[in-house]
Amino acid sequence: MFGNYLAASIRNLQRNGVYAALTVTGLAIGFASAILIGLYLRHELTYDQFIPGHERVFLVNQLITAPDKPQVDMDVSSAHLADDLKLEFPQIEYTARTAAGFPPTVRRGDVSVSELQFVWADPDFFKILPVPVVAGDAAHGLEAGDDVVLTRAAARRYFGRDAPIGGQLLVDGHAMRVTAVIEDLPSNTHLAGEVFGSSKATFSMLAMLDKAGYTSNSNQTYVRLKSGASAAAIDAQLHSFLDRRVVPQIRKIDPDWHGVRYAMRLKPLTSIHLQPSDGGGDPKPGADVKVLAGIGVIGVLIVVVAAINFVTLMTARASRRATEVGVRKALGAQRKDLIVQFMGEALIYVAVALVLAVALAELLLPAVNAALQRKMSFSYLTDPSLLLVMLGVTVATGLLAGFYPALVLSSFRPSSVLKGGPVAASGGGGVREILVVAQFAVLIALLLAAVTIYRQTNFGLKDATHTNKDGVMMLFASPCTETLRNEVLAVPGVRGAACGSPAAVGLSMSSDMTFRGPRKTMLMYAPVDFGFFQIYGIPPIAGRLPNPDRPGDDGARLKDTAPTILLNEAAVRALGFPSPQAAIGQQVIWHFNPTSSFTDMAQPTPPPRASEVIGVVPDFTFRSVRQKIDATFYYVGPRNDALNSVALSIKIDPVHRAETVKAIDRLWTKISAGMPLQQYFADQFLLRLYIDNVIQGGFIAVCALIAVSIACLGLFALSAYTAERRTREIGIRKAMGASSSEILRLLLWQFAKPVLWANLLALPLAWLAMDYWLKGFAYHVDLAPWTFVAAAGTGIVIAWATVFFHALRVARARPVGALRYE
Amino acid sequence: MLRLTNVSKIYRTAEVETLALNEISMEVRGGEFVAVMGPSGCGKSTLLNTLGLLDTPTSGSFEFFGQEVARRSERELTALRCERIGFVFQSFNLIDDLSVAENVEVALLYRKVPSGERRRRVAEALDAVGMGHRAKHRPQQLSGGQQQRVAVARALVSNPSLILADEPTGNLDTVNGEAVMAMLTAAAESGVTVVMVTHSLAHAAAAQRTIKLLDGRVVSETLLAA
Repeated sequence: MFGNYLAASIRNLQRNGVYAALTVTGLAIGFASAILIGLYLRHELTYDQFIPGHERVFLVNQLITAPDKPQVDMDVSSAHLADDLKLEFPQIEYTARTAAGFPPTVRRGDVSVSELQFVWADPDFFKILPVPVVAGDAAHGLEAGDDVVLTRAAARRYFGRDAPIGGQLLVDGHAMRVTAVIEDLPSNTHLAGEVFGSSKATFSMLAMLDKAGYTSNSNQTYVRLKSGASAAAIDAQLHSFLDRRVVPQIRKIDPDWHGVRYAMRLKPLTSIHLQPSDGGGDPKPGADVKVLAGIGVIGVLIVVVAAINFVTLMTARASRRATEVGVRKALGAQRKDLIVQFMGEALIYVAVALVLAVALAELLLPAVNAALQRKMSFSYLTDPSLLLVMLGVTVATGLLAGFYPALVLSSFRPSSVLKGGPVAASGGGGVREILVVAQFAVLIALLLAAVTIYRQTNFGLKDATHTNKDGVMMLFASPCTETLRNEVLAVPGVRGAACGSPAAVGLSMSSDMTFRGPRKTMLMYAPVDFGFFQIYGIPPIAGRLPNPDRPGDDGARLKDTAPTILLNEAAVRALGFPSPQAAIGQQVIWHFNPTSSFTDMAQPTPPPRASEVIGVVPDFTFRSVRQKIDATFYYVGPRNDALNSVALSIKIDPVHRAETVKAIDRLWTKISAGMPLQQYFADQFLLRLYIDNVIQGGFIAVCALIAVSIACLGLFALSAYTAERRTREIGIRKAMGASSSEILRLLLWQFAKPVLWANLLALPLAWLAMDYWLKGFAYHVDLAPWTFVAAAGTGIVIAWATVFFHALRVARARPVGALRYE
Repeated sequence: MLRLTNVSKIYRTAEVETLALNEISMEVRGGEFVAVMGPSGCGKSTLLNTLGLLDTPTSGSFEFFGQEVARRSERELTALRCERIGFVFQSFNLIDDLSVAENVEVALLYRKVPSGERRRRVAEALDAVGMGHRAKHRPQQLSGGQQQRVAVARALVSNPSLILADEPTGNLDTVNGEAVMAMLTAAAESGVTVVMVTHSLAHAAAAQRTIKLLDGRVVSETLLAA
């Protein structure tokens, strides 16, 4: 019996080649998308699980609550915490810290690079995270001050081979020796880094942080528990540990410490990626679980759209199989026999689609990996669980999508079919219409989502930051000195140049307790240079900008008095001034430190000093607009240390852009003494904060495109079928005097109707979803009515463009031919 | 063996009621060859569908090989059909996607005949109608007469007790029509009951008895042969 079914199915597939191809192609595209989305989700949900014993590894997460501020959690902690934890808790087997500071210059022979993948790590780091080793002994590979561990890729880059054990590298001029080479880290780890330097090096970032002790918050602290130890038990004791050991330390350094509350917890290694800290400190950007859920939903929707296509096409063409059904029934087939036959046929379709989908997914994976910046693999042959899930989803789709067509097909009454009478495909038309509505609802909603994400990303990059970054290049120098600034200013084509602190360009945050009379407020502060505000087009709302001719404006030339300051609008409110104008000329007291230095962060808090407010600027930011712009004040600070002056912002004449950039490059080569050049256009530099948005937006746009193409395949076939089915009706209408254009309108209206319904369904849902998404940003665009109109219109245009060919063909047919047809 | 008593069949749509069979009572004996005649729309096909258990009467009683079947479920009717009836249609109704042999085989599939025996019986049935050499062809590759021979083979292969033929010669030329009639006559002579709807007086003459229908009623019966 099976052979007979198979023969009928396969020959039917052959006979209706075009339709079968459309059906299978739709399913294959849907499955391929689902496979890729599934791989991505699996990748995101399995971070760090490859590390042996990962369930015993934790990262210290700090919760900090400043007065009048919401609680912020950070995955960075103080340099001394690791040792103190180890002393306090016997359940802890190892602790280790990592820190990635300003990229050091790594040199071997002719190769000299600013190594962005450099991480400083404590000796026990690879005991806590025992990653696979290529050569050497990583577990003991960071014990001496000149030890360095490389990944395979870094080893090849510097030495041209995989195991350069004992090889020498110059790190910021200091000789270091390779002790071990580890495998390249997979992309599903929160760890970033290819060169791991021992914290024991006297010039390491961690050695510097050690001097700052509990005032620093710049390194990760990892903990590995002894077997059987409970993280919850340690969590419960961390509060008293903080009170006894940490708070007194902070008070000792900072007697003016004003009620900032600290708490701490152990974050499981495998949660780091999915629960990124809001205050920063993660080596890599984390994932947003809600976005992952959204992507999962989209994956399911695409398969649903493809399955709907399948149902639509199978039922639309069901009447073609009517004779077969009639004969089989007349000859004794029970309805269930036919249901089994047609469900089996559906499984053949999905099986063929799966094979195509696997091929398509393999073909597309490299591009997807590149776009998502991942290293996902699709090894279904060696991964039984993956194969099982794929087959499971395929069979489930086949059964679900095959059931309805099987029901419709098996419902034909042989008495009418066999006489050649009209075939009443019971309910097929209505259900088909509903399915087309569902398909278009999905694609309209996806279109709207893609447009909204694009608008918000653009807004975050441009308007929301309240800066004009056009034609501004950022050149990183450690430090950015006046000499450098002046030499760059002299390059033809440079319209302006100004140094800025890491805090000014959004790379770090510094805060200070400030007073206005009896009122005290924690404010952020950022040292800048003269001309900084002009370069980014930030005009004063009230008062004036710093002026180099006024000695009181230049913090570099002051020792015992504080320079004048500018407030942003948020700081005006935080300090309780009724208006920006009211703040001008007022005194604000804070702890100006004229000798603050990157290499000596453990200085005691300087005495309070008064500054005059000379201006108010709008709230602008170099950070992501997900966070609210902090209340901040700005002043012209010293320019002899990277802590106060690290980024040279250069405004370039757009007409001579290329030559000017080249001239700056040449200048840098001349004065940098071999330091590699790090420069970015400011807008590209900001883009790094929105890379996940760009990926999400692009991803959803691609998904929308896929949904559109699948839905179009379905609609195309459906229109062909409708045209064919209505040939006689249209012949009669034309015989009665209808013109071609009237017929065309009739047919186009028929296909516009489901799209209009789809709009009614999709637009409110998309509105709710995107409104929710936008609320995740402190500053966001509003949902624009025009985007809704555009999405709705696009849906109709797509539908019409798809069906136009068939509609026109039928509308223009001569009635005589149409009437003879049946 | 087939006995209709006061059988009516009404087709209802939202607005129209069509009385297709009007209180028909008739009987067909085992091994009898009956021809049903009448103008278009007189209820011939409805009668045949009712006899073939493809349709159920609206009212009245239908005794099918000793069982009352007027109120049976679709499943039971299918099982009876499977066991007893072979069909021949005016438009042949061969499945385009199957070969000649596979088409004939369909009649055995749902009777759970083992595959070896199926092959043997299909070959025999095709040989009997002179189509053995075309077993691997597809219906579209055959002439109308050849297709109807295959349809007859399909009707006979399951050794039915009853063959229902709905204008089996309607789409055929004279020569092929005669050939098909000869096959049906031979079947009747071998003891199979045959009920055939036809417009052709000549072909009706091959039957033992002719029933004439008009507006859903039996208007006359003619006994042609003893």
